[in-house]
Amino acid sequence: MNPILVYIICFPFTAIVGMLVSWIDRKVTARLQWRVGPPLFQPLYDFVKLLGKETIIPKGSSKITFLLAPLFGLVAATFVSMLVWTAILWPEKSFGGDLIVVLYFLMIPSLAVIIGGFASRNPIASLGASREMKLMLADELPFLLAVFVAVIKAGGAIRLGQLIAYQQTHGWVFLSASGICAIIVAIITMQAKLTLVPFDIPEAETELMSGVFVEYSGPPLAIFKLTRMMMLFTLPMVVVVVFLGGMHFQGISILWSILKYVVLLVLIILIRNTNPRLRIDQAVRFLWGPVTILGVAAVVLAFLEW
Amino acid sequence: MNPLLYPIAVPILLGLICLIIPRRAKFVHEIIALIGSAMTFGLLIWIFTLKPFEFLMDGSIILRVDQLSGFILLASGLFGFLITLYSFKFMKEANRSTVYYGSILWTLGAACGALMANHLVVLLVFWGFLGITLYLLILTGGNLAADAAKKTLIIIGGSDALMLLSIAFIYSVTSSFDISTMQLSAGNPLIILAFILLAVGAFAKAGAMPMHTWIPDVAETAPIPVTAYLPAALDKLLGIYLLGRMCLYMFEMSRLMNLFLMIVGSVTIIAAVMMALIQHDMRRLLAYHAVSQVGYMILGMGTGSPVGIAGGIFHMLNHSIYKSCLFLSGGSVQHRTGTTDLDRLGGLGRMMPITFSSFLIAAFAISGIPPFNGFVSKWMIYQGLVELGQVGDKLWIIWLVAAMFGSGLTLASFMKLTHSVFLGVPSQSVESKKIKEVGIGMTVPMVVLALLCVIFGIFAYSVPLKNFILPAVGNVSYLGIWDPGLATVMILVGLVVGLFIYYLMGNVKIGREANSFIGGEHLPTETRVTGTGFYNTIREFGLFRYLYRWAEAKWFDIYDQLYQLAMNVGRFFGKAHVGIFTVYMVWVLVGLTLLFVFLMGRW
Repeated sequence: MNPILVYIICFPFTAIVGMLVSWIDRKVTARLQWRVGPPLFQPLYDFVKLLGKETIIPKGSSKITFLLAPLFGLVAATFVSMLVWTAILWPEKSFGGDLIVVLYFLMIPSLAVIIGGFASRNPIASLGASREMKLMLADELPFLLAVFVAVIKAGGAIRLGQLIAYQQTHGWVFLSASGICAIIVAIITMQAKLTLVPFDIPEAETELMSGVFVEYSGPPLAIFKLTRMMMLFTLPMVVVVVFLGGMHFQGISILWSILKYVVLLVLIILIRNTNPRLRIDQAVRFLWGPVTILGVAAVVLAFLEW
Repeated sequence: MNPLLYPIAVPILLGLICLIIPRRAKFVHEIIALIGSAMTFGLLIWIFTLKPFEFLMDGSIILRVDQLSGFILLASGLFGFLITLYSFKFMKEANRSTVYYGSILWTLGAACGALMANHLVVLLVFWGFLGITLYLLILTGGNLAADAAKKTLIIIGGSDALMLLSIAFIYSVTSSFDISTMQLSAGNPLIILAFILLAVGAFAKAGAMPMHTWIPDVAETAPIPVTAYLPAALDKLLGIYLLGRMCLYMFEMSRLMNLFLMIVGSVTIIAAVMMALIQHDMRRLLAYHAVSQVGYMILGMGTGSPVGIAGGIFHMLNHSIYKSCLFLSGGSVQHRTGTTDLDRLGGLGRMMPITFSSFLIAAFAISGIPPFNGFVSKWMIYQGLVELGQVGDKLWIIWLVAAMFGSGLTLASFMKLTHSVFLGVPSQSVESKKIKEVGIGMTVPMVVLALLCVIFGIFAYSVPLKNFILPAVGNVSYLGIWDPGLATVMILVGLVVGLFIYYLMGNVKIGREANSFIGGEHLPTETRVTGTGFYNTIREFGLFRYLYRWAEAKWFDIYDQLYQLAMNVGRFFGKAHVGIFTVYMVWVLVGLTLLFVFLMGRW
């Protein structure tokens, strides 16, 4: 098993599943709004169409930064996906990085969006990027607390493989009082990390005209969109590994495994379709207030071994 | 002469020559400083290969180079050389080159002395000497810097006095000054007091809370190379070196002492970075980060586990690299634009690409973005904290979340800086000047430091950890996995494929430039988002509103509080000065009587 090979296979796999998932998202959203919704291949059509369009670069911006930023986000999303899948498939010989590495790499797609927005030389993009940064700060604190609940339960294991192995022998982290609190926090912060409604504050179409992406077009925009689709697949997978015992592919457990992800996806779509957008100060107050308190409660409960 | 004496004697002698040569011969100062720092660097490389090595006088070891001090000496020599090189262009206008270059060399010599000292009193002498050269260097900033220089001298000098007290305690317990043979157990309360007092000296030097308040003031007024040289690089090396020497060799650490270090570390991380978020001046913002990062080093030391301590020491080395790089790129910006006010900068990334690249690399390194060097050392510190949890400690989660969240806050404030200085819309004052990249004398130090950030990150295990850190700490076991080489290859593969897609689509070439789209309107040039207000949401958030207000009123400034206290005490006794001779005579009589009674009572 060559790491580089796994990485290279991981990219198209994550991209294809990401497109599929984003189609599900769009289709379900459409049905909830009494629309028909797009055909199965619509995300692919969108991507290919954008690749063929011309690239417009804002006058007087830092051209190289502007064009490179999307690529870093894509690479980081692929890397996280690889770490998660190697941990799922070969829990005992995980390589490349541990949970801390995953947490840091998860920040990079947002970072890429921020730098890209800054490099656009557009006040609207700057505002959007600053909102993205604040949102990242707001969700980071509760997300860390939630994830470390699993580490506490597993007795200080920070390798993804160890977390999965622990949950195989001791049951899922989710199946305890602290685990339930933690996964609620994780789902809310996941929504913020994916910048989906009610946390789509950085791109807020109605006020910022898609904010950070306002100057992007053609292939760079295609890559940003692809990164987001991949994150829609990868981020819930991280939650599955940390709280729901990972995935297993023998016999009937295949169904179980896929169900874990689907449940998370359905929750994401439901939250997204039943909430209005928050203002950034409301989001910060919400995430640093009740959500963080719930996260602290989860940590305390985990120490009490509940 | 013993080899260990050279790196102390050479720069101090050359510094003296610098001071003698008249002010007009500026060129000679520069040459002497460059030769002196280069020679010292060379000597330190030689000494690094000799270690362990000792200098004896009257049978006691006065100077000693071992695994811990060896690589720190090497780093100090490198900084001395790079900063001297950088100063040529930057200090062109300043007419204090005599004092400036003389003090730079003296600082280098004294730093070598303090790092090599194996005798507590020798250590303290060099330590005190460094305080004076720091004072002189800050004063080269002109009249504006006078207040900051005074504040620094009082804080550093005061903590030196505490160190003297601590050394007295240590001597009274062990009747020895020899550092290498010292084994102080925590059973004796006097030793714990000595530890805290000595640690306060290290904190003041490195800039941990609450002894940090001189750093932002110095950064704002002193010339940038001075800040890059002392508070950002050498003072960190020295302060954390002393702390490392104490934790690893001199003291047997008890749980309480570790807890003390971890509390100081976490509070420093969070509080300083929160202050950095709201700054409007580039130099002040960078200075608060220089404080915040010290927290990680102290936290790493406080874990008491080998991987945490190694991480703390590694972070010290990394910090001095990226922080001087950041200050130097800030200096380049100031050199070209004449300001460090974030409201009056912007859009410089296009005009100064080399400065921008080195700044961005250093900014990613300080924010702990993998695969740069800052990530590796932070990752090691986190593992030290997790290890603490494995042996049954419950508080580790607080320190861990504080450290990781602090890392996110660091990233946030560097994004603000990136936007306000290098990206975003240029301000009018920037646009009206024709700004181009700085000269080669200024780019070389920045690029060297930025490259070190990359190398120490990607080849973390094979270069810095293997040669510098682990020989000093001993072997460590990692709980987690991080393979920077593999990750870098993957990142590069991804980037190459991505660029290939861009190229394949032919869009980079046919890509068209157009004005930015702002709802179809043309904005006047003075309408722009500067970035200074990015985090006002957080500033106005709940309790933070009050904390920020108190911090800006200097409630948490130990210098200011002590100053107020001293003034109030003075005012109280000032009431006795009524100006009437007979009243004074009464006071004298009362005093004499009291003295008499006291002396009689003792007999």
